[in-house]
Amino acid sequence: MTIGKSLPRYEGLGKVTGQAKFPADYYMPGMLYGKTLRTPLASAKILRLDTSKAESLRGVAKVVTAQDIPGENGHGVIFPDAPILVEDRVRSINDAIALVAAESEEIAEEALSLIKVEYEELPAVYDPREAMKEDSPLVWDKGNILYHLPIRKGDVEKGFREADVIVENKYSTQMVDHAFLQPEAALSYIDETGNLVLRVATQYVHWDRTEIARALNININQVRVVCATVGGAFGGREDMTLQLHCSLLTWLTKRPVKMVYSREESFKAHSKRHPIYMKYKTGCTKEGKLIALEAEFIGDAGAYSSWSPNILRKSAVHATGPYYVPNVKVDAYAVHTNNPFTGAMRGFGAAQPPIAYEAQMDLLAKELGLHPFTIRWRNAFEEGSETATGQILETSVGLKETLLATAKAYGWDVEKLY
Amino acid sequence: MGVEFYKPQKLEDVLDVLATKKGPLKILAGGTDLMLDIRNKKYEVAGIVDINLLSELKNISVEGEFIKIGSLVTFTQLANSTLLQERVPFLVEAANSVGAPQIRNQGTIGGNIANASPAADSVVPLIALDAICSVLSPLGNRDIPLNQLLCGVGKTRLASDELIVEVKFKLPRKITRSAFVKFGRRNALAIARMSVAILLGLDGNKVNAARVALGAVAPNPFRSLELENMFLNKAMEEIDVDEVIARSSMVVSQALGNRPSAKWKNEAIKGLMRQVLSKIGIM
Amino acid sequence: MIGTKSFEAIVNGEQVKLNIPQNLRLIDVLRNYLGLTGTKEGCGEGECGACTVLVDGEPYNSCLLFALQVQNKNILTIEGLASYNNLHPLQESFLEHGAVQCGYCTPGMLLVAKALLDKNPNPTREEIKVAISGNLCRCTGYSKIVDAISAVAEKGVKR
Repeated sequence: MTIGKSLPRYEGLGKVTGQAKFPADYYMPGMLYGKTLRTPLASAKILRLDTSKAESLRGVAKVVTAQDIPGENGHGVIFPDAPILVEDRVRSINDAIALVAAESEEIAEEALSLIKVEYEELPAVYDPREAMKEDSPLVWDKGNILYHLPIRKGDVEKGFREADVIVENKYSTQMVDHAFLQPEAALSYIDETGNLVLRVATQYVHWDRTEIARALNININQVRVVCATVGGAFGGREDMTLQLHCSLLTWLTKRPVKMVYSREESFKAHSKRHPIYMKYKTGCTKEGKLIALEAEFIGDAGAYSSWSPNILRKSAVHATGPYYVPNVKVDAYAVHTNNPFTGAMRGFGAAQPPIAYEAQMDLLAKELGLHPFTIRWRNAFEEGSETATGQILETSVGLKETLLATAKAYGWDVEKLY
Repeated sequence: MGVEFYKPQKLEDVLDVLATKKGPLKILAGGTDLMLDIRNKKYEVAGIVDINLLSELKNISVEGEFIKIGSLVTFTQLANSTLLQERVPFLVEAANSVGAPQIRNQGTIGGNIANASPAADSVVPLIALDAICSVLSPLGNRDIPLNQLLCGVGKTRLASDELIVEVKFKLPRKITRSAFVKFGRRNALAIARMSVAILLGLDGNKVNAARVALGAVAPNPFRSLELENMFLNKAMEEIDVDEVIARSSMVVSQALGNRPSAKWKNEAIKGLMRQVLSKIGIM
Repeated sequence: MIGTKSFEAIVNGEQVKLNIPQNLRLIDVLRNYLGLTGTKEGCGEGECGACTVLVDGEPYNSCLLFALQVQNKNILTIEGLASYNNLHPLQESFLEHGAVQCGYCTPGMLLVAKALLDKNPNPTREEIKVAISGNLCRCTGYSKIVDAISAVAEKGVKR
């Protein structure tokens, strides 16, 4: 191995020649095609689910509903609160209701259209700020607030009293899809020893395996998850999408099953980046030294937990940005709504706060007549700085170097800006 | 179940298929929209009539005072035509703004017209040029002005057995300037949120012909005589740019009425107008 | 078989003849009938370019073409660009410049690049950007892909 030198991509040859196998590139003789029926409603009760017509369609090998799941009907990277197939309560648009395995994709599609679902629509909530209120419709009976992390350092009230300038604003970010280029696909089959094998592009092979075993009510050593070439993920393949569905269809039919999502279904099935509603109040002295910061984050978790607590924790930890603030009060909440569930995506909660804290820095600088560089320089973390959570940064704090490099690139005269 | 795929070799065979085969039939030119419409089950289709063997519909030519463009001419062909680059550069700009290379290789001018999208890129300069479509059916040939052929979002006055074979327009005089600008969500593969095509005929420095067409602000692209009048019979430097920009916002506002997009398009047209005027050399 | 038609074309230099359902897309024939799975489906609606193949040397989205539309044409997929042991200069350059990450856009990118260089052996960076504008990459941020194509152009390697 060589340190400090670029090496050719290990699996690159397969990728430039088209030989690399992504999950949709696997085929097996006699394989069935799996399709998923999803709900168009965000909040509803299933009154009746009739699969008889689909089952009697020629070429349909199996129709699966919640009742057919041998083990536990739930999955999730922290809490198993996402249903594999909805049993009675729809909590989010695109929740999976039933699966079909058929001899061809066309037959599977047709079978889906023959499944009848009767719903009773229930009240829904689509804004996490609304969902926190007492009278909000409940996504979960235990309450909509999934997670709350308070961070307290120093005395913010005192800090704001001592501040010469205070800037207070609200910021919000939107839901974002990873849009990795390879839509979800999988092929599952029973191998010669009777074990289940699943070829899939995933970020979490061992956890997929654990959850599949739990859903099928079999031992973990009866499940083999083989990671195919992954066509981008960016966090969007941490939660399960079709892994459990494909495995179920194979386990119940004992036949190879292939599932391939369209781009549209890919959008429907996997997690999204959290929209976060942020309130910021930032105070500093006339020299531009930050003295107090108060922030509130309300993150839309959607209907299922996924990584929401960890993500809002990360947002909270990053609330001050890379700046030293002696007095800090942060409250971060992850709140359930009937929106599509949100989860990991590049930055994992650290991508949203900069929209707010950097805008605050610019506004403070403007109030004080300081250069944007100056206010950042005067508050920048360096080795030995203490963060809002009390962590002492011991090594590798490169902010000041980065600021200098940036200033140089812009042609700013830093001597005048410190 | 199943779709019948016809691949006639000659024009009369196309007409024969259209007249005799079990419908609904759809004519396949490039197919970039047709493929998706069929897959999304937008309409029922019993047969697809692929007209791509008709090489006579793939030419760009000059005949008398007309430029004639075969309906199967692709956007790539339009963009690469030196004749069009010289005489109607805004049509070339519009063709180049369509989709991406793959789409421009496949999509055709006839398809762009027949599909009747409010945002059709090539249609905006063609409207400005008062283009005429030659349409063939078992009953014979007829010419329809493009602005009459289009009659709503996705709607044309073509009968089910009619085929656009050619688009033609009068060759602009040598001294003209033209420009096309489009506002999309990104540079490549963007459907126009709004577009403007402008063509000015010049006598010395004086504007003696003006065409201004707007795209994606009404069911089909249209000419605005009101805006055109602001250029006519003026020297280039006399054109009141601010007034044109302000008036264009009013034209867009009238066209859109209380549609939700009106609010931002009334504003955005100003920037778009500024761009097109600067491209044509007025500001 | 009822409802099928004969499809003939030259694919990667070889004559193929198949009976296929009449509304089948070119991508489905390539992947499901010919086993040429290097052609990828990313969006199925001509937005991403992952399914790009060359038809008579020009790039097309194989998800937007009916197979019968390209009857008797010459089709090149990534599998026909070069063999494992004998890479095309573009393939080598993509590897060398880190223009490959997840690899899903790579076949399409390579093919539009080939079509470009075949016509225009010395494109500007801007021309390269236009050529790849119909191909999405979610990993690299494109600059390494442009670098890779540009490097081959500069070498003036005969293709």
